[in-house]
Amino acid sequence: MILTAAFLSTLCAAVGWGADARALLKESENRHRTRSQQYAGELTVVNKDGKVRRKGWKSFREGYAGDARNLIRFTDPPEVKGVGFLSLARPGGQNPDQWLYLPSMKRERRIAAQDRDASFVGTDFNYEDMEEFDHEKYKVALQGEQSVDGHPCYVITAIPLEKGGKSVYEKKILFLRKDILYLLREDLYRKGDKEPTKRFILSDLQQIDGHWVARKMEMSDLKKGSRTTVLLKEIAFDRPVVANRFTLQNLNREGGD
Amino acid sequence: MTRQRLGACLVLLLLIVPAPLRAQGVSGYVEEKAFGYAERSNSRDPWALGWGTLFSKWEEKVGETQLTASVRGEWITSDEQGSRVFDPADRHIRRPPLSVPDLWLRLPLAPALDLQLGRFQLGWGKTDGYSPADAFLPRDFSDPFSDEKISLWAVRLSGEDGQFRYEAVVSPVTTPWRLPVLGSRNAPLTAAGVPAGTVVQEVDTPPPWAGFAALRILATFGQWDLGAWGRFGVRPAPLLEFRFDRATPGPTGLSVPVERRYAREEAVGIELSRIIGSWIVRGEAATLFSRDRDLGNALIGALSAEKGFGDGTLLVTLAGNAITPPVDTSLLYDRAILPALITAWNRSEEWGEWKLVWSAGLSHGDGLLKGEVGYNISDVWKLTIGSELPYGSEDGPFGALHAAKRVHVALRRSW
Repeated sequence: MILTAAFLSTLCAAVGWGADARALLKESENRHRTRSQQYAGELTVVNKDGKVRRKGWKSFREGYAGDARNLIRFTDPPEVKGVGFLSLARPGGQNPDQWLYLPSMKRERRIAAQDRDASFVGTDFNYEDMEEFDHEKYKVALQGEQSVDGHPCYVITAIPLEKGGKSVYEKKILFLRKDILYLLREDLYRKGDKEPTKRFILSDLQQIDGHWVARKMEMSDLKKGSRTTVLLKEIAFDRPVVANRFTLQNLNREGGD
Repeated sequence: MTRQRLGACLVLLLLIVPAPLRAQGVSGYVEEKAFGYAERSNSRDPWALGWGTLFSKWEEKVGETQLTASVRGEWITSDEQGSRVFDPADRHIRRPPLSVPDLWLRLPLAPALDLQLGRFQLGWGKTDGYSPADAFLPRDFSDPFSDEKISLWAVRLSGEDGQFRYEAVVSPVTTPWRLPVLGSRNAPLTAAGVPAGTVVQEVDTPPPWAGFAALRILATFGQWDLGAWGRFGVRPAPLLEFRFDRATPGPTGLSVPVERRYAREEAVGIELSRIIGSWIVRGEAATLFSRDRDLGNALIGALSAEKGFGDGTLLVTLAGNAITPPVDTSLLYDRAILPALITAWNRSEEWGEWKLVWSAGLSHGDGLLKGEVGYNISDVWKLTIGSELPYGSEDGPFGALHAAKRVHVALRRSW
């Protein structure tokens, strides 16, 4: 989710249920699709007591939505510097393969699908939040319209399908800006919860290389009272991708990106 | 520089390193650690000791070539630190005040083929609790409760082709295991059959120059991870030679020189890992061949299961050696704790992290309980408090360390 704001706007609809929602999401994907994206992220993690921790990472993505490959490499602070995360989409809407590289161990650790609710390196994102959205894993429905930060938005409900593998969430509610079909907000409901557990907000939209992108992303854990803000810098789209970047060998390259 | 001066410098650095000191590609830390003990095995063991570390790492990328160098300065108040100021290959028996854990470059020969040269650390094996693929790599046991690997001077060729990864390593120089001071609370030698009152005189026997060569192949097929490896050369864990023929009488008993020798060993192993539901199950097996009279052969297996619980992980590992070695197992170091059941639970919290490890020796009913809590004071300051509690029969590898029960506290400043 976090890897590219434009991505988040391309949440595609599933088959059969809510044809209008699917059409909107497909159109969103068509408008905002890019071959690759990279950026440097400045993270601020604020816990419920107001204690602030800062982190930095570099993010690379190739492909899109259901065929996306992502690599994240932490650059700061020292205790997580060099930690790497690789996510490779799998066909058929299955959960992606994910690995975490820990410099202290000098090797990667595989992330089991059931571990996807764990905090991603001390942030308010979990491993599922780090996955690219795959439309085949959700059924979607248009619920109506609502304004977010003064922008009229379509409100779309997305419910994970069983065939897409287990999800941490029971439901996601997406707020898609009407004029540019760009995602501005996402409410995430864990199983059995009536209120959203987490809220993902995208803001500070700009056009870079001809693509809309939110330069600020914020994930709030509404139950814990904490939030993680990511400021995107050095954003670039559709640049030539370094060969073998999205491989386990590259993930294990100490000092690599 | 004397130990006292080096220690004073480290304390000063801990206090004055400006915040935030960040330079492109430079990282490191200053740490002050203190240990307190409840027992002593003899009058030479201190009740408390201090351990100060200054570590700095420099990483640079020139084109596609990665350059990395690190330097470590240490001050230890006990005899674990030797008088030699610098030991570039860590071939001597005591820790030097200055060392270079990293000094390497990595050249891409092709997009999926790398050549790494210099001094670096290896991490093999998939089973975190005990891995036969990892166990032969040299470790520094100066602190017997830490799991500190020693870097190797080596050449490594690594590549990837589809679902396969391969790695070939040649280490032309033996980097030996570093053992605690023999006869101290950290290496009491009670299990070695040494008569009470005996004083050992460690001889800094030079290890052989030849190192080892190893090849490893890994593959990923869906939920399965498979691997196979082989190695031959000098086994870096030493075999102790008690020279009773050169013993001399001392005030409390015999004074016996102890030399070290290094056997050649060949080994092959396999590793399997699979995601099963919410568990990651791993298995490793290795056969080790030696013609050495004291070392013998070994058939080592390890089975582990790992499960995530939110931000925590539980790892249970069962490991054992099907072949009884010719000498006391505790003298073989890389397989001394076998058979063992190791249970580790660690968890990240908003304020830091904690871990609990219980290692149970299955031969003598002894074991080791370790607990540690790390509190992040800020992004760069961290306070750690912990304890190591060996228990049980003194004939076992853990129970023999009963006098090393301790608590520790550490303060680290990173940059």
